[in-house]
Amino acid sequence: MRANRGLHLGYMYWATGTHPAGWRFPGATAGRAFDPDYIVDVARRAEDAAFDFFFLGDRLATGTEYQYTNTSVLARPEPFTVAGYLAAKTSRIGLVVTANTTYYEPFNLARLTASLDHISAGRAAWNLVTGADPRAAGNYSRSRHGEADERYDRADEFADLVVHLWDSWEDGAFIRNKQTGEFVDGAKIHAVEHEGSYFQVRGPLNLSRPPQGHPVILHAGTSDRSRQLAARDADVVFGAAATIEDGVRYASDLRSRAAALGRDPEGLLVLPGLTPVVAETLEAARAVYDQLNALILLDEDIRYGGAGPDAWPIGGAPPRREDQGPGRRNLAALSQRLGVDVTGADLDEPVDETVRQSATDEGRRLIATAASRSGRLVGRGLTWRDVLYAHIWGAHVVVGGPSEVADYLEQWLRAGACDGFNIQSAFLLDQLEEFIRLVVPELRRRGLFRTEYTGTTLRDHLGLTRPANTVAGTTAARRTAGSAVAEGARL
Amino acid sequence: MTTPDPSPAGRELHLGLMFWATGTHAAGWRYPGSRADGAYDIGFIQDVTRHVEDAKFDFLFLGDRLVTDPALAKTNPAQMSRLEPFTAGAAIAAATSKIGIAITANPTYYDPFTVARLFASLDHLSHGRASWNLVTGADAMAAANFSRPEHWDAEQRYDWADEFVDVVRALWDSWEDDALVWDRDTGRAVIESKVHAINHHGRFFDVDGPLNVTRPPQGQVVLLHAGTSDRSRDIGAREADVIFARGPNIEEAREYYADIKERAARYGRSPDEIHILPGLSVIVGETTKEAVAIRERLDDLLPVVESRTDVREGALGQAHRPRDDWGVTGNPAEVADYIEEWFVTKAADGFNLFPPFVPGSVEAFTELVVPELQKRGLYRTEYTGSTFRDHLGLAKPPNRFQHTGGSVTGASERSPAAAQAT
Repeated sequence: MRANRGLHLGYMYWATGTHPAGWRFPGATAGRAFDPDYIVDVARRAEDAAFDFFFLGDRLATGTEYQYTNTSVLARPEPFTVAGYLAAKTSRIGLVVTANTTYYEPFNLARLTASLDHISAGRAAWNLVTGADPRAAGNYSRSRHGEADERYDRADEFADLVVHLWDSWEDGAFIRNKQTGEFVDGAKIHAVEHEGSYFQVRGPLNLSRPPQGHPVILHAGTSDRSRQLAARDADVVFGAAATIEDGVRYASDLRSRAAALGRDPEGLLVLPGLTPVVAETLEAARAVYDQLNALILLDEDIRYGGAGPDAWPIGGAPPRREDQGPGRRNLAALSQRLGVDVTGADLDEPVDETVRQSATDEGRRLIATAASRSGRLVGRGLTWRDVLYAHIWGAHVVVGGPSEVADYLEQWLRAGACDGFNIQSAFLLDQLEEFIRLVVPELRRRGLFRTEYTGTTLRDHLGLTRPANTVAGTTAARRTAGSAVAEGARL
Repeated sequence: MTTPDPSPAGRELHLGLMFWATGTHAAGWRYPGSRADGAYDIGFIQDVTRHVEDAKFDFLFLGDRLVTDPALAKTNPAQMSRLEPFTAGAAIAAATSKIGIAITANPTYYDPFTVARLFASLDHLSHGRASWNLVTGADAMAAANFSRPEHWDAEQRYDWADEFVDVVRALWDSWEDDALVWDRDTGRAVIESKVHAINHHGRFFDVDGPLNVTRPPQGQVVLLHAGTSDRSRDIGAREADVIFARGPNIEEAREYYADIKERAARYGRSPDEIHILPGLSVIVGETTKEAVAIRERLDDLLPVVESRTDVREGALGQAHRPRDDWGVTGNPAEVADYIEEWFVTKAADGFNLFPPFVPGSVEAFTELVVPELQKRGLYRTEYTGSTFRDHLGLAKPPNRFQHTGGSVTGASERSPAAAQAT
């Protein structure tokens, strides 16, 4: 870890925030996801605060049920076009675009990312995903989404190929001598001649090497395959660890994997996602948190969500975070998560210590999360309602005033659990404004965050060097590059 | 303000700029004052676009190819390497407010869901100025960059493109304009019955939908197409709003024009809905002599290592190559005469300007020719609308899914066959 260098902060943009009902908060923005002025406004706020990057997520399918769980992904503009637009409206902040290796062509993706890097003068990054929503298959003429292993096999080869395409032009290939008429040095432009299991691509790319050499690569994930891909290919990883202990384990696992692959672990930054709920004081922040949760629509049948008692066997696999919409916002769903039946409890009844003790580890963690967010402890005001809300809003959240939030960030950094955070807002614009107004100055007072940009590219902001060209040079070097692809290694 | 009636028939001349950073002349980049490195300078591209926006051009056109070859440096460096057009188009949208932005995308190597998203997004970001130049990719080498063992023949490419366009158009309609309500009181963000699966199951594509981008402001993004083959004329006449192919001379151009409009009528379209805007390379000077001198100076700059014949028959296909008979050289009146004759005799509804060198030849056209066209009442002096469809005089089309009896998500009434019939 690079604790001595302070925190890196990305801003992960969700047009209507990360809280499932955040858009309903008084004064919150809703309905401006397609308004370019709004997106620019948010990005410029993050840039004025010297954030490392502005992060655009993506999915390849939607359904109207997202209106209750994650309105930001219900419908939103495609990220490459948004980033191209933002490149023209900002000047320093990095621009992260999410693109899915399962459904893209490597040649198209290499062009889009390289082009964005040129347009933004070295601020482009690619968040590599393999597909969170299996419905994408139905939008891409595929009979099936593919198992994770298969998707990662493809992603590994895809990432290699994209890097080689970025490198298919050597730096300095252009001559552009008006006197002699020499425009380009053809000897510095190389075919990649990739012959893999999934792709056969001759190359070269039809645009010159990106200003950063390689646009920054991001990846998230917790599975073994995704960690391995991150350790090999990513510059920035944003895992899903929710506790400092998990964060330390995750970061050290990634570091050792990277080292085992011959990489300098310093070249891999771990930036977990985090939604700080911030206000002037701890009490005020907790009030915002409670007010937000009160806007979540719970099931009318608060016991069983209209499905009856038999639909909720205890001990089954816990539902995915995505599946916590209507019909799953009840005590039976909570019981499944806790591993103990609480359907007989009243929603506003205090959490019972003996029930807590009979919950699973996962269940006890959830109760602890509900307590630390709300400030109400077991036996001292914590209710099942609080726990249900923590279950429904499954994000990584910290609630506090400026010093509590700064403490939290600093503790993670000092413990070696991360190099910074992917900051998200429960709702906009207020929560972004408050983070910038209250927390950022506190971090600066502690010497933990830059006061201004010191470089111009995203690699500069992240402290990453510009990589050498993996393809360029002699035919022999190209042959080596080709065989390295076959072996799954990176030159 | 009122603009003079552009012609007795009420037609309006339309102008686009084909943006080739180093010009459409092979030696344009060497011409004094030309930018040799403009292809990667988005600020320069934005400046040129704003310049033609000030001249009230209908659109800026970004071409594309999916292969490169350093040998193109001799024949057309602008096509050898350039920015990817969606990202560049978005950056142009950020720096302009009226002009249409045409992006070239090849269905042979893209997916309809991705293309529908890219264009719908660009249309939102530009407030209704996006346009898709549909090409099917004559370049056989592209297959080798996309893991395809062979280059498809034209028949297969057009079969694929026909269905591809159907899918994209249906996806653009999958959200009704007023589907999102964001009702804070009830907590409801969307009216489910106004979001439609498309359930397309065709020969090449199976696409459920809905799109995850709301309906483009233009409803349907403007579609461009070029081509002279029977299949390409057919898809152009059926789907395109703008066609920029042409015959090699004015007589054949009139025949081409008449053929396209007739085909369009057979598809139940009004001939006025389809605009034929051939490419036109213009070299203009204050005087004829000056223009001829510019032309000669340009030609003298062609690479000396090869004969001019070699250069002209080089790595590029015929379609985009500037040739003498694609252009006009002269003083402002002569250039305007040429344009007027093509326009009035229905060889064209306007032109897609091919600038031999940039920015000089673009500036010369806007400073010398545009005022002459305006003086003659042939060309607009102000934009009268704000979307590309507005510039073309096209209304926003109705949504195919609207008023179909309260359909629900997942139950589309539209079958591919029905789409063909409408």
